[in-house]
Amino acid sequence: MRYICLIFILLQTVVTAQINPGPRSLAMGAAGVVLKDVWSLQHNPAGIASINRPIFALGYERHFSDQELSTQKAVFAIPFKQHVFGLSFQRYGFNEYSEQTAGIAYSRNFSGALALSIAFKHHQLSVSQYGSANAISVDAGMHYRLNDRIWIGTHISNPGRSTYKELSGSIIPVSLAFGVSFEFSDKVLIISDIHKILNAGINTKLGIEYTLVNWFALRGGISANPFKQYAGFGLNYQRFALDVAISSHLNLGYSPNLAFSYEF
Amino acid sequence: MNFNSKCVGLILLLFFLKPAIANSQDESTDIIEKILDMISRDPSDNQDYSNIAERLNFYKKNPIDLNAATSEQLKELVFLSPIQIKEILDHRVKSGFFIDVLELQSIGSLDSESASLLLNFVRVGLPSQLQDLTVKKLLQKAEHDLILRVGQVLEGQAGFTVSTNAEEANYQGSALRVLTRYRYNYSNTLAASINMEKDAGEQFFNKIYKRGFDFYSGNISFRGSGLLKKIVVGDYALQFGQGLAMWSGSGFGKGAGISTIAKQDFGLKPYSSVNESMFLRGASGTFNYRKISFTPFMSRKKIDASLTEQGEEVSSLNISGLHRTKSEIENKERLSSTIYGANIQFNSKNLNIGLTTYQTQFSLPFSIGKSLYEQYDFRGSSLTNMGIHYDYNFKNTYFFGETAHSLTSGYALINGIMSSLSPRVSLVLLHRQYAKNYHSFFNQSVAEASNAVNESGFYSALALKFDSKWDLFTYSDFFRFPWLKFRVDGPSSGYEILAQMNYRMNKKLKLSGRFKQQVREENPEDFNLGSGLETVDKQNYRFEISYSINDRFSLRNRAEIVRYQKGSAKYELGFLNYQDIIYKPLSSKLSGNMRFGIFDTESFNSRIYAYENDVLYSYSVPAYQGRGIRFYVNGRYTLVRGFDIWLRYSLTSYYGQQTVGSGDDLINGNKRSDLRLQIRYQF
Repeated sequence: MRYICLIFILLQTVVTAQINPGPRSLAMGAAGVVLKDVWSLQHNPAGIASINRPIFALGYERHFSDQELSTQKAVFAIPFKQHVFGLSFQRYGFNEYSEQTAGIAYSRNFSGALALSIAFKHHQLSVSQYGSANAISVDAGMHYRLNDRIWIGTHISNPGRSTYKELSGSIIPVSLAFGVSFEFSDKVLIISDIHKILNAGINTKLGIEYTLVNWFALRGGISANPFKQYAGFGLNYQRFALDVAISSHLNLGYSPNLAFSYEF
Repeated sequence: MNFNSKCVGLILLLFFLKPAIANSQDESTDIIEKILDMISRDPSDNQDYSNIAERLNFYKKNPIDLNAATSEQLKELVFLSPIQIKEILDHRVKSGFFIDVLELQSIGSLDSESASLLLNFVRVGLPSQLQDLTVKKLLQKAEHDLILRVGQVLEGQAGFTVSTNAEEANYQGSALRVLTRYRYNYSNTLAASINMEKDAGEQFFNKIYKRGFDFYSGNISFRGSGLLKKIVVGDYALQFGQGLAMWSGSGFGKGAGISTIAKQDFGLKPYSSVNESMFLRGASGTFNYRKISFTPFMSRKKIDASLTEQGEEVSSLNISGLHRTKSEIENKERLSSTIYGANIQFNSKNLNIGLTTYQTQFSLPFSIGKSLYEQYDFRGSSLTNMGIHYDYNFKNTYFFGETAHSLTSGYALINGIMSSLSPRVSLVLLHRQYAKNYHSFFNQSVAEASNAVNESGFYSALALKFDSKWDLFTYSDFFRFPWLKFRVDGPSSGYEILAQMNYRMNKKLKLSGRFKQQVREENPEDFNLGSGLETVDKQNYRFEISYSINDRFSLRNRAEIVRYQKGSAKYELGFLNYQDIIYKPLSSKLSGNMRFGIFDTESFNSRIYAYENDVLYSYSVPAYQGRGIRFYVNGRYTLVRGFDIWLRYSLTSYYGQQTVGSGDDLINGNKRSDLRLQIRYQF
């Protein structure tokens, strides 16, 4: 327990888990601005615009192999022609401290080459013996197809700088991320993000996905600031998918992350 | 496929490919310098490039016939990755003999950069005439190659002058540097080589010093095609596996390319470098029987060492090869080492496995260092090393690795994968784990530190070829040092990131940008127990442009910025900007190059390394440090065929400094200049 508090104090920006990507993105260096799957709800809701069928996913991440500090999350997306709606829920923390986020997103697909989205998130932060605080933030995102192989994307998180009114010092980060994806072949996808959080450094991320066979993909990535290495894999079986990722931090160790999804 | 139909197909292919490959052939820069720049990582670790330069020059002059090339020959070009080599050789099996070098373009894993480099070293011999021609040509004559090189720093240095309270100068010899080298090659089967060298400050042919030169090295070697594949008597180098157990000579690691990370061993080689410590002296041979090759080796030589006060134990080895001052001369050849062992390998088309075992014996035991960080260093007078190495090709993936053990002490492991995921994407993953008490005196494996010991790490690299003009190479490496190191009084860790983007607009213009960051931990300036370590963050930003003005002149500019920060101290900046002019007409007796550079670095920490052109076979990578200008001019003139002269003058002029250098190298004044002359006679 003490150890966790220490991590919090020392590495506030590292641990604050507003953007808790899905395992596919995480395995690819946590770059995900241009990825297109249901977990896009976590890092750029424009990514759900290409979803064709309703899809539901559950995810779990343990932080730094610690028994107590974890994130649980659930996402759901449903398309109505070019209009796609999404719901996301996330709980992060441990018994005495938790951050809960619930979001609703709308994404629209314009002729397959452009997708725009907007999302609203409700945040609740509870610290035992101190009470809880609430806030609402807005996210916006975009995907644009440059050509058959290249997509670019942008994601703005909390541009209104909303904060928890009741708890000074606890912030909801304001961030801007750009991403690009490059499809080298049917099997090789490379993505890269540049991510700036207000009052923190710029992070550059690079990830690769190698689809060995159509039901199995290997992934890997790095991020530069903080320096982390990532790896993972994805399995598909009919309508089920399992994605597993692990990230490795220089001093804090490993964080495993896994998720199931089902397509209706 | 029969030969004729292949011809037709090929002509069609060439018709379409010609413009593309013509674009990719690089005419604007000096190829060998470029390769060395690509493979070398941190020039400060004092690698010896001369033997690689020599080898590349040899193949530039005698291009490898793609239809007869062996993987061993292609390995020697250093810049090709194992996958590329395999695909080149496979191409011959799949599509028959090469008809034109431009066919290389169709080899997927060969990126445009490597392809354009490779074009300088290969040719295509027609299959039918191939063998008679080469054999005839080679038998016709024996080749002799003689080089004499002299050089000197022109300003007086402290070590050469007699100070007021001393009887004689610290340096026992003159400031002149002399190198003589001779190569003999008979029909590519029999060869001999001699190197004789005197460094600045060393004695040379005087009454007391009967030896003449300070350093002699030589060998006679034979290459056969039957049971006896190679034999070398004299000085030789051995390179096996991934360099954990036995790798003498330069072993490159993390560079700005994918090729050097998986080591490609040559086994036994005649030694041709002037590095005075990393070689073996004695005899060795390689015997081939079917798929098995066997290389026993034996070496006995004297090495330089500092002894403890009683003179009974070795306190450290001196590997600089310099014998200028009395103490350096005193330590010369104080220790004798005997090495014997063998390597046995199984080589098949896709799988190679080898076992290396050898023992090193010293005439005196090594003492234990006093400092805590030296706790696990080698002690005693005898060491047995064993290593098992493998490499395996499976489809588009190359697996490689080595496990080594120094008997009664530690283990070291390295394992890697190199894969071309698509023709445009290559990936390397490499894991290493070296125990703090792993010992080997010929250890050149991939490592962040200078030796593969006390380290674990994970390296990953990605090479992307977006199209024929754009490519990106990037790697990241995470490392951890479980035990203390020199000036690092605690277990430490760090990482390194490199990203380099190249853009070749056309055959005349090339741009590249590079970012590199190294983060590691070190003792703080005012270190005391319990103060912990400080993070050192060093970032390099480099931008380079090279372009040819016409078929004679090409230009190259580089700007580089270094940002160094230790702990919470203010960062230090270093800056270097230079302009190179290269004059290389297609056929003229005269060629040359020059550089004008300005550097401004705040400290030693923010110094910047950069390649400099030099006389043939000599490459220097000086650190630019302080504030000043750097100039050199380097020319070659061919008097008659087979007789060449090189002359190089260089000058560093510092701003606001009363002296240059320190200790025995101190110069009064603000300049340091150097003159070098080289003569080559081939007959």
